[in-house]
Amino acid sequence: MTRREFLLVGAAGGAVAAVGVIIPLTRSSTGDSTFVGPDGSTTTTGTLAPPAALVRLFPKLRVASVGDLGTDDPIKFEYPLQGQHNVLVKLGTQVAAGVGPDSDIVAFSSLCTHMGCLVENYQPEYRALGPCPCHFSTFDLSANGQASLGQATENLPQVLLSVEGDDIYATGVVRLIYGHANSLQGAPMVEI
Amino acid sequence: MSFAQPARVPLPPPDAEVNIICCEYCPVACGYKAYTWPVGKDGGPAASDNALGTDFPTPLLSGRWPSQNMHNVITRNGRPHNVIVIPDADIQAVNLGGTHSIRGGSIAQKFYNPNSPTADRYQTPMLRVQGDLIPISWDMATDLVARLSTHTIDNYGELAWGMKIYSYQFYENVFAGSKLALGKIATPNYSPHHAPAEGDDVPGLSDTGIDAFGSAFVDDKEADVILISGSDPYETKTVRFTTWQQPGGAKLIYVDPRKTFTAAYAVKHGGIHLQLNPGTDVALYNAMVREIITQGWEDKDFIASYVASRPELDGETQWRRLMFGRSFDEIREYIFSREQFTLQGAEQITGVPAKLIRDAAALLTGGSGARPKSMILFEKGLYWSHNYENTAAIGNLGVLLGASGQPGRATGRMGGHQRGGQKAASYPMEKSPDSYEGNPVEMDTERWLVQGNTRFRWVVGTNWVGAMGASQALAAKVRQLTSVGPTVTSTNVDIAYEQLKARIDEGGLVVVHQEIYPNDSTKYADLILAAGAWGEENYTRNNAERRLRIYEKISDRPGQAIPDWKIFATVGQRMGFDGFDWDDTNAIFEEAGPKSAGGRRDFSALVEYAQERGLRAHDVLREFGTTGIQTPIVRDGDDLVGTERLHADMKWKTNSGKANFVFPDWDAVAERNAKIGPVGDEVWVLNGRINAVWNNLFDFARRQLATQRWPMNFLEVNPEDASRWRIESGDLLSIESDNVLDQLGNKTTGSFTAVAYVADTVPPGVTFTYFLFPGSPANSVTSGDSSLQPINLRYNFKLGKGRVTKIGTTDLVGKMSFIPRNLV
Repeated sequence: MTRREFLLVGAAGGAVAAVGVIIPLTRSSTGDSTFVGPDGSTTTTGTLAPPAALVRLFPKLRVASVGDLGTDDPIKFEYPLQGQHNVLVKLGTQVAAGVGPDSDIVAFSSLCTHMGCLVENYQPEYRALGPCPCHFSTFDLSANGQASLGQATENLPQVLLSVEGDDIYATGVVRLIYGHANSLQGAPMVEI
Repeated sequence: MSFAQPARVPLPPPDAEVNIICCEYCPVACGYKAYTWPVGKDGGPAASDNALGTDFPTPLLSGRWPSQNMHNVITRNGRPHNVIVIPDADIQAVNLGGTHSIRGGSIAQKFYNPNSPTADRYQTPMLRVQGDLIPISWDMATDLVARLSTHTIDNYGELAWGMKIYSYQFYENVFAGSKLALGKIATPNYSPHHAPAEGDDVPGLSDTGIDAFGSAFVDDKEADVILISGSDPYETKTVRFTTWQQPGGAKLIYVDPRKTFTAAYAVKHGGIHLQLNPGTDVALYNAMVREIITQGWEDKDFIASYVASRPELDGETQWRRLMFGRSFDEIREYIFSREQFTLQGAEQITGVPAKLIRDAAALLTGGSGARPKSMILFEKGLYWSHNYENTAAIGNLGVLLGASGQPGRATGRMGGHQRGGQKAASYPMEKSPDSYEGNPVEMDTERWLVQGNTRFRWVVGTNWVGAMGASQALAAKVRQLTSVGPTVTSTNVDIAYEQLKARIDEGGLVVVHQEIYPNDSTKYADLILAAGAWGEENYTRNNAERRLRIYEKISDRPGQAIPDWKIFATVGQRMGFDGFDWDDTNAIFEEAGPKSAGGRRDFSALVEYAQERGLRAHDVLREFGTTGIQTPIVRDGDDLVGTERLHADMKWKTNSGKANFVFPDWDAVAERNAKIGPVGDEVWVLNGRINAVWNNLFDFARRQLATQRWPMNFLEVNPEDASRWRIESGDLLSIESDNVLDQLGNKTTGSFTAVAYVADTVPPGVTFTYFLFPGSPANSVTSGDSSLQPINLRYNFKLGKGRVTKIGTTDLVGKMSFIPRNLV
């Protein structure tokens, strides 16, 4: 995990609003990083122009209740845009980016980052999504959505989650969602 | 609202520049397009606003989605540019529809970018002074190389001057390097990155007359049954599997001690996994041959028409074929004379149930039913175990099936890497000090070096020491030889020259390393020559099905790095040789054309065609785009025509033009296994490639996608062994042996560490590791004694062994996936 992703995953644990860490979010076209502070301000390292698209922000979507979630019983939802499919699952074991009382709830895009096929077959024994029906990539949900084996050139995009009471909210997505040049452009937002 | 900004990737504007290039890693060589445009001038998501000509979001399987790892920022013509390197969705071959592997799909990350882990690219030549590498000028570096080379050759002969060089690189670089070493210096002390000696890597198959390189991918799709030995195509030749083998629907017979992804796929889809004991391939194939002949399932028409008789074999002029070539009757006599090759005998040796051997024989031949189109494909798991005998045994199976020259019927390699090995001159065999029963063989350059006979070695583009057998013993010897005589104390060229010359004169070794990054061997270098790389020059290369394409220049080189061909040319000129005055790589390609004539890589017609028209050969090849053209290329009036299938004329590479069988000597194998196999509490330590990385990780150790997946080397351990040894996934293991044979055949030690990966991909008693992970010298537990395979001096690379011990834990559980890699 890179420092950039660690901080983002850390944010998924709910710490971001409280401590106001600076979160590097995108690699700009210069290879530099754009940093977004809790106040919404942005800073780009390096000397070249920052990326153009700083317009839409991720919606906050309630996706499940902690109390209703069974271990290894995945829930599907679209987020942040319509047609952007995701799987939320309570893994039953604590993972670095897990939320909830057992720190074991994670959500990932189910659009394969190889060529966009839906990879929704969850294998409880391995806490994995896959193999993808198109080219067999299998993604390990307990290890940041990395492909344990496969041809995808990105880990599965991870949905940032926060828990408020019994409610689980999606608050953002780390990494680029298949098919998009910008994870928040190209389709209507999901309805909140 | 969240604070999070969406991830994005910049899109090329409609006026972005477009170059064609292929992936540089596996032998499939998928075609790519590189879009470059100045930073700050991005295109938009509408098809009319981007050079990809597609609306975003793109649909599934569009082949037109650039992931973030397909993007980078490079310097092009001195200015910062965005680059997207994306599979060519319009290609008419190889990676149809723009599919790709994880390796090629992330190849944009290969480009030098000082804000990325590629920042440690070598940018200037360097001289080791008082133990540290210090930048020097090219003038000084090439002067030192030339003067030390001349001194070595003049005083100790050309056999004291050695070159260790990639065999697979671009045509232009291999041609230039071999012109210097083989053509001008004419030394036999020349060997490829993967072996101690030059020569044929699959001699047994070559001796059947079948050309090992390479069958066309369309034949994978045509075939009804494909036997694949010692290579997992999904992992390491990915697109060949996903685009040609899987969609073709052939039943797979997968032969490997490991239950890999393709093994599991084969079984799930009506095929067979023959999970043989390591080192027992010959017994398995001989038993299959015996069963096929017993049942009368061989291709009788093929054998009658196209297989050489004894009188025809006696007319051969090549010594190996004279010695080992066999007629059908002779091979039958040998195989039926041995109990080991009965189904039961083979089961005992190989561990493969007799029924499965019979089932495989029936599947390959159709049994008593219609004859299917059958193919035999193999790679290093087969031929780096027992070289001559294994390639002979599998070649016999191919001949018996008539698997050559016809649609869906072929026998050959899957390929380890791409093919650019057109040399400028032939190997000076007459100077080789090595021989086999009076017949000349290419010399073992590593043994020669360990014996102190090499005074100057020029290493080009390889982790030399780590890539050889008994690598730690070899490293110790190199350390010793490079420590002889005075230390270099000055960046004054004359003082440095005198000090290095003194080392040579005192029996030591000077090492020059031409590289793009530090690796496990560059620590021994006295001089570093900072080389250019893929995408930094116009080059050409073939893939595994002989498809010739151009690889265009996209990026500037970092610092003062110089392309390999130009380094060779400069040194050649400084040494006083003529013929090194090329202006560019096209000039080399055109010079290489006639040298390629008559072989499988023949592109002489393309060069002639260009020259007749006053065109540049590179420009003519560029017209063929990413689809390219398959060599041998022939003229058809005003057209250039490729060759889809080898041996389509039903002629083979023998004096008689017929194929033949080859003696598959099990006794030699059994004797060798006893010398190199595990003893006491040792287990097999097999090694090979895996999906997400390539070779010595020169690029992938600098690619986040890969370093997340493989932060360190791993050792696959069967759950039973794991339980016995009380280890779990994530534990840190020591793998060591004090029973390894070094380059001189003496016992030595080897050891490395790796993280435990407990999985049923390996059976009990067998482990598996990556062969060239930086800092993890897995080849230290493989034999470095090529005399065990005297026919052509190769190592038994894939048959390592060692004791496995837990020495601690790692912090990798939760960061690195440990789930099985054979889920289908």
